Amino acid sequence: MTDKQWTDLNKIIKGEILDPLPTGFVIDCPWLPNWYGIKILDYFSSDQLWLKANLKALNDFPDTLFLPGFWSEYGMCTEPSAFGAKCSFPENEFPHAHRVIRSADDIDELEVPDPSIHGLLPMVLNRLKLAEAKIKDAGHQIRFAVARGPLNIASYLMGSTEFLTTMMMQPDKAHELIKKITAFLSSWIDLQMQSFPSIDGIFLLDDIIGFMGAPEFTEFGLPYFKELYDKKVSVKFLHNDAHCKVSAPFLPEMGVNLFNPGFDITVKELKELTENKVTILGNIPPRDVLAAANEEGVKAETKKLLASLSDKSRVIFSCGGGMPPGVSSENIKAFINTVQKS
Amino acid sequence: MSELIDKISICVERGKVNLKAPFPPDLKEQPGADEYTREALEKGETPEAILQACNQAMENIGGKFSRNEVFVPELLMAAKAMNVVMEHLKPYFKSGNIKSKGVLVLGTVAGDLHDIGKNLVSMVIEGNGWKVEDLGSDVKTEKFLKAIENCPGCIVGLSALLTTTMGNMAKTVVEIKKQYPDIKIIVGGAPLSARAAEEMGADAYAADPQEAVKYLNSWAS
Repeated sequence: MTDKQWTDLNKIIKGEILDPLPTGFVIDCPWLPNWYGIKILDYFSSDQLWLKANLKALNDFPDTLFLPGFWSEYGMCTEPSAFGAKCSFPENEFPHAHRVIRSADDIDELEVPDPSIHGLLPMVLNRLKLAEAKIKDAGHQIRFAVARGPLNIASYLMGSTEFLTTMMMQPDKAHELIKKITAFLSSWIDLQMQSFPSIDGIFLLDDIIGFMGAPEFTEFGLPYFKELYDKKVSVKFLHNDAHCKVSAPFLPEMGVNLFNPGFDITVKELKELTENKVTILGNIPPRDVLAAANEEGVKAETKKLLASLSDKSRVIFSCGGGMPPGVSSENIKAFINTVQKS
Repeated sequence: MSELIDKISICVERGKVNLKAPFPPDLKEQPGADEYTREALEKGETPEAILQACNQAMENIGGKFSRNEVFVPELLMAAKAMNVVMEHLKPYFKSGNIKSKGVLVLGTVAGDLHDIGKNLVSMVIEGNGWKVEDLGSDVKTEKFLKAIENCPGCIVGLSALLTTTMGNMAKTVVEIKKQYPDIKIIVGGAPLSARAAEEMGADAYAADPQEAVKYLNSWAS
């Protein structure tokens, strides 16, 4: 993100209404490699191609905010790899991590990883370091420390069914696991911030939040997210594109000031649930509209979203969730133009 | 309904698995579905009556889940309690006293290791009297085809949690329909919609396990 974009983002979060209205998208491996015309494996294994793909997106769409911007990642393998998860990287499919905890008893033995040396994390950081000069040359900075959230990582390490069952049947073990993951995440975020002083935001992604009711979320989610977001940064960004009606009222207490939901809830509803204290990055349907519709369809759905909001403060117009695979440049332009001309 | 069957029904709906289970907190240190079912069978309650009450309990909790009154952990615990009851009733299935409604071949599609949706569907459907052939997660098309070959007349259920694996789901649907055009396929998962299901050629989209049960029962009747 450029200095101006970062300043604009902070203005939006403070409630200022920009003219033209802002657009933004979470972009990462599900969209970038195919859009840039390279194999997914090449995107992960070539620092050059990764950088070029990111720079092309920024150059092609200079008027939109791409979040987190220059996301160095290995899909769902990034953080689980530090815990020793076996990672599968099919040539042109998305990578996935295999579980490392077979039963709740294994949690006692789980070691908190060192993010500076374990798993793929040194590669994540080094890719950014190698690219930093070119990123700066292009007028951008690395702004976010990024990680999957603690519940999401727990479900990867253990399996989501087993993790949620442990929460209900052996709550002490579930807390032990989440505490270890949170300690790891805290050090991982700190390391990113120390490595890149330009970082002034934290971006966590966790859709397991959406599986929980209020009693489970307040016990197993809220305190850990509060701890992670309790760092001195301006932008505290959360992605959860699963169900979010239960957790949305807790977003301000978590410390979140920017939220990317799914598309099964309206921006208007979210503004009400958060008392308009949280900026919403959303939320036309990502697959059925942004990826699958034609330009006219995108324009129509975008106009509907715009018309649904009498108060356009604290909104960055986007799709629900991240940019899905297969979205064309034409559809992105149709979306941005429709918002900007409103 | 007898008092014991009523207790089993409550335990299933509230997810009280057994005496040791700490959930739900207000039933802590009380017997659960496991103990009550054993006692009910010993006292001569019929397996059919127990099953009927449990099916109703699962329908109730499924309805609450559909209305967002309870969430995945509660449904998961209800399904676990139901499974405990089913363990007690298994001998009666085997003896032919209770008949299975059919077979669902179920799996999370290739590239997707998420199992929560698939497991919930499996447990709820099994609790509704179906046999489930659970192929697990990250299941390649060939494995589905092999399972169909081994289970003539089955229904196929495909699950995906990631937007990124929906393409694999579509490929699997197309291949199954190519080789077995009469097989019914039901799909579900967070990134899906009825429209997406229709586009990929599936017969139905279920937003939650209870909806899946309704489709399956309608196809079986």
